[in-house]
Amino acid sequence: MFIDPKLQDASRRVRVTVMQGMVETSADQDVVLTTVLGSCIAACLFDPIARVGGMNHFLLAEPSSSQINADTHYGIYLMELLVNTMLKQGASKSRMKAHIYGGGNIHKNMQPIGQRNSELAERFLNTENIMITHRDTGGTNARRVDFLAASGKARCRHVDGAAAPTAKPTIVPAKSVGDVEFF
Amino acid sequence: MEKQTKILTVDDSRSMRALLRVALVERGYEVCEAEDGVEALEWLETNSADVIITDINMPRLDGFGLIEKVRASTRHIDRPILVLTTESSDEKKKRARDAGATGWIVKPFDPEKLAAAVRRVAH
Repeated sequence: MFIDPKLQDASRRVRVTVMQGMVETSADQDVVLTTVLGSCIAACLFDPIARVGGMNHFLLAEPSSSQINADTHYGIYLMELLVNTMLKQGASKSRMKAHIYGGGNIHKNMQPIGQRNSELAERFLNTENIMITHRDTGGTNARRVDFLAASGKARCRHVDGAAAPTAKPTIVPAKSVGDVEFF
Repeated sequence: MEKQTKILTVDDSRSMRALLRVALVERGYEVCEAEDGVEALEWLETNSADVIITDINMPRLDGFGLIEKVRASTRHIDRPILVLTTESSDEKKKRARDAGATGWIVKPFDPEKLAAAVRRVAH
């Protein structure tokens, strides 16, 4: 967890930056999960009864609906990791609501990689019966997202795509994945 | 003709069950599914599988509870059980081992390694 002291304001708010490939969750009402997204996707989940929320942040090179590849496995893993981390803090999957942000196709000449990533997140949430209550995806802008995890309140500001960090797709750890240990 | 190996997958995530189904069916296995420990036990009352693959975090009855109940049964006492989970802590592994799990696989899974593990434990 990376906490930048400069970004803590007077109202005790603690800003936690969610880096690419990471999952952060909180039940603390003062915690703001924050990230900047170009083509990357952030899914924000929230359980209004347990008052637990969380965010992940990913960009996969080749998420695909027609074939199941390593990226699809890794994307589903990052979504599941977010759900499981929240369950440990008392959330219930059946109560979770979701927001999806990002997936901009910042560079006109690039493949619509942002769109394919947001489709993967949507497909996962639909399959798991987690309702998507808000989405702000696509387009050519970058986005700054602030998510008050414990109350489920989010703010998404559009920023010029040129100002967005140039994200490289998350490298799926190839060799250590799925290692088997026999007892 | 050789009998097809039947696998019961237990996971509350439909996305994960679908990934497992594709990976295992492509490699010649027959796949049955349950969405938590309770449903798995109900299924095992009247059915049988050669190998059980189970998640840990599940509602109603989690993976640890399922392993304990299967090991306490008479019909499935020797059934190989592979845990497939996002968890990797030594403490959770120890709990699974003590409950009687056969092996532990950390997600995201590699279909080839999973199939190899199934081949190794199926009997």
